[in-house]
Amino acid sequence: MIRIDCPYCGPRDEVEFAYRGDATVRRPSADAPADAFYDYVYTRRNPRGWHVEWWHHAAGCRQFLKVVRHTMTHEVRQVAPATTVVDVPSE
Amino acid sequence: MSAPEPVSPLARHLTAGRYGAPGDAPVYISERQCVLVQLFARKGRGDDVASAMQAGFDLQLPSPGNAASAGEITALWIQPDAWMLVAPRGSEGALAARIKAACGDAGSVVDQTHGRTVLHISGRRAAWVLAKLCRVDLHPSAFGPGRVAVTPVADLACVLHHSDAAPGFDLIVFSSYAVSFLESLTHAALETGYDVA
Repeated sequence: MIRIDCPYCGPRDEVEFAYRGDATVRRPSADAPADAFYDYVYTRRNPRGWHVEWWHHAAGCRQFLKVVRHTMTHEVRQVAPATTVVDVPSE
Repeated sequence: MSAPEPVSPLARHLTAGRYGAPGDAPVYISERQCVLVQLFARKGRGDDVASAMQAGFDLQLPSPGNAASAGEITALWIQPDAWMLVAPRGSEGALAARIKAACGDAGSVVDQTHGRTVLHISGRRAAWVLAKLCRVDLHPSAFGPGRVAVTPVADLACVLHHSDAAPGFDLIVFSSYAVSFLESLTHAALETGYDVA
């Protein structure tokens, strides 16, 4: 069970949230080749370590959040509103 | 032509009486007849809505996780730049129209009187009963009077409002789920016993 400290609602359990994937992918420009769109839609890194990801507080304040989670330990290091620029920690 | 008066989905499911285990600390369960109006600020217009509500209703809209009252109206924070306004039953749609007139194009107003049902649970062990159904910490040190949480209760979307210090809680749920919600609530309250007013 992951506890996510929603910046609006405070700490809540994982069941209130919907996981919405990697928050670092960027949509290619409209004239980019098909390969770029293939990567954008399907190709993910699956890192062992820190991961910046979208979580939707679906059963709470209904906001999208950026969560920095460790994929091995499930430790949550940072939770931020969607517009915040969040770097992937190296350690 | 006005809409018909709201019909409670719980009308045939809440029968006055004492149920569950005997004891000296039952919880009290009742339905509150309210007008419910949802107010959403349009993009970037949160401050305009706040000042319109201050000017029109002398109501300071609450910050995240809180409630605020002015006269008969109580505002509950439900998400950033959105509030649920609760007031005693009055003429159909009148409150929504007044709020819309005050906010103009800064806010979107939806009357939810038919769409939501408000249950009230009170008594010394009310938080203990609710703790079986919800994941928010309801200990007085963490969640006191005037606090609001939007969270699943009995796995159903609910606006949980610590409405009075007695302690008493308002539970705002979708009307279509109200019967199922009441079943879960009364089942959880069997252990303390419960009294339907």
